[in-house]
Amino acid sequence: MTTVADPRVEGVARRLWRHPSSGGRQSPLAGWLFLSPALLLFLLFILGPFIAAMALSFYSYDLLTPAKFIGLDNFKALRTDELLLKSLGNTFIFAFASVVTHLVGGLLLALAVNRGVHKALSYFVRTAIFFPFLISWAAVALLWKYVLDPTFGIFSYYLGVIGITAPDWFTDPAWALPSIIGIDFWHTIGYTFLIMLAGLQTVPAEMTEAAVVDGASRVQTFFFVTLPLMTPTMFFASVITFIGAFQIFDPVQIITQGGPNDSTMTAVMYLYQTGFQAFQIGYASTIALVVFAVIMLVTLIQFWGSRKWVHNA
Amino acid sequence: MAALTRSPLSRRTLLRGLGAAALAPTLGLPLAACGSDDSESGGGSGGGTVTFVYYGDAESQKAYDQLFTKFRSEHPEITLKAQGIAAKSWADFANAVATRLAGGQQLDVVQIATEGQRIFMTKDLLEPLDDYIKKDQAAVDAYYKDTPESIRTFLQQYASKDGQTFFMPGGYNTMALYLNTKIFTDAGVEPPTDTWTWEEFRAAGQAIKTKTGAFLTAAGTGYFTDVMPWMLNNGAAPISEDWTKSTINTPEAVEALTFARSLVVDGLAPKPGGTFDAPTQMAKGKLATFGGGRWPTNDLRRLKFVDPVELVKWPQQAKPGSPVGWDAWPILKQSKNKDSAWIFITYLISETFGDAITAGGGGAVPARISDATGPEFLKDAPKNTELLVDLLDVATPIPGPDRGAETQKVIEEAWTQGITGTKDPQTALAEADSKLQALLS
Repeated sequence: MTTVADPRVEGVARRLWRHPSSGGRQSPLAGWLFLSPALLLFLLFILGPFIAAMALSFYSYDLLTPAKFIGLDNFKALRTDELLLKSLGNTFIFAFASVVTHLVGGLLLALAVNRGVHKALSYFVRTAIFFPFLISWAAVALLWKYVLDPTFGIFSYYLGVIGITAPDWFTDPAWALPSIIGIDFWHTIGYTFLIMLAGLQTVPAEMTEAAVVDGASRVQTFFFVTLPLMTPTMFFASVITFIGAFQIFDPVQIITQGGPNDSTMTAVMYLYQTGFQAFQIGYASTIALVVFAVIMLVTLIQFWGSRKWVHNA
Repeated sequence: MAALTRSPLSRRTLLRGLGAAALAPTLGLPLAACGSDDSESGGGSGGGTVTFVYYGDAESQKAYDQLFTKFRSEHPEITLKAQGIAAKSWADFANAVATRLAGGQQLDVVQIATEGQRIFMTKDLLEPLDDYIKKDQAAVDAYYKDTPESIRTFLQQYASKDGQTFFMPGGYNTMALYLNTKIFTDAGVEPPTDTWTWEEFRAAGQAIKTKTGAFLTAAGTGYFTDVMPWMLNNGAAPISEDWTKSTINTPEAVEALTFARSLVVDGLAPKPGGTFDAPTQMAKGKLATFGGGRWPTNDLRRLKFVDPVELVKWPQQAKPGSPVGWDAWPILKQSKNKDSAWIFITYLISETFGDAITAGGGGAVPARISDATGPEFLKDAPKNTELLVDLLDVATPIPGPDRGAETQKVIEEAWTQGITGTKDPQTALAEADSKLQALLS
């Protein structure tokens, strides 16, 4: 097929981007233009709010009356805030459980689907596993409230059939956080599964075949060939899963609102309640900075630790 | 407030020291200030745009908007923007309004329920209505004459300072029990009297459970719908009458929670924490009673299950009681069209609007007595719906202190722990007591 270039478009393109071979200097304008949508969004929704949060953390501000500068008072208050400590503890438990279950679950599912199953079945399973990820958190939360209803829930019913009394999933402090962890796993495992599947498909077949020819068993091939080659993917999955998990909010807000007895109070939930129920915007901003610092620190540790276990080809 | 606005300190400190992104805290400045600069008490002919914010989801927006057709035709010079805000509770609604105000939205008239009235007043966000009232004294007098005196008294007591009036009262809700007469008949249980006791209630429930398998009642954890009715009918309340002290840990309060818990233990109420939809279960014949104000009537209409239902008083232990919550309409200080906002409020208190909202099937008892006891309100409604009005005689306002959303959370949390058996009622309420006291002091 022959295409005829529009001379007007060509002219504009030439002005924006002069090729080095033409002897002209590259114009930075084109680069900035391409960059501008992302840059604008970054400034508006990430950098701007971040700087605002830093500023607000030095103020006492209730949304309704003018802000008052209070210096480091908000930061000092962090030291004695027991609920913040509890919420950070809950969030770490949630994030740790999330990373472990997603990495293990995602890898196992990917291994199962990646094996020589029928193509149609493979597509169906991939879609089925990924599908919950496409559902909004609001719908997922409602769905599971029905499933785990202590009186009418289908899950509680079948546990009863086999002689197990179902716990009060969302009102018992011992079960509320595990329930949220389970629901989160069901909802988001599809994403980790896809990453793992993509990673598995980049493992060169020649290497596994060579291992088999050398007499390695399936288990040995997995642990000494596949798994090391999967470590970059696993590292990526662990980083993004932790970052996402540490900001968990939606299911907690919809299902338990941080209760019972603050057993599902996560850091972002606490931040929200502090800001938009207690109207302590300044202190909520300080908590936001703590959350940011924790995520950054853990991510740095993950990167540092990766040198010891991530295989670099 | 005006002095704060003119002071360069907060604005300049923020801009110089922390950069342009630190503008957020200054958003409070124009908000808190514009009242003084633009105040135009009384007088004036109106015009411009009036933004009215009310509690309601997108679905109710259309129905609500129809209520203002007449106003728009009578006042073409005023552009009315009526916006519904969907929220889980009135406290959340008040928070959403506050967030919009902080975001710089220009609001003129806001529907505020008891839970948010005091904080809006104490934060100096409202324009005193006294001059406007004088201007339209006859219309206001006529409205007051046709509205419950107790609601006006409550407004003066809880949402007024220096003798000023900030709100015009709107609709209200009390708490009665919706009772499925068919289940009572099938179980051979006599309909309750006006003074039925907790033990009579339990005995009815046991008979119903045995003979029909239905639950006696729903065990919720709502501040207005569950905590307050059980406590008030035992002479208790979570917060003192002046909203300054916690009273959630009295023996009467503990007794109320213990009784509510016993209904779950005895299998007379489903376990809380699920998705139990009381009107639907009642229509299916699986639930004998549930608590509510006016709003469940709309659910029963949708389920076509109005006729077998009757409203009865909540069972009592020490004395009869009911919570009451009402919505009210203030003009915000930030309004740039206060005259037009007042003209709009005079429409909200008019007979025309009262009749329209009654016919429209709102979720509250209409403010006007003539509407609340009229045929339109009682049509296609459970028997004895007048009870919602009569309960005002024994009603206690739902406490709405400044930190309302937080207090509500503490109260509901304690009730949840007690009613689910996570903690014994005494411990749950004792723990809540100290938290509440900290929030109220």
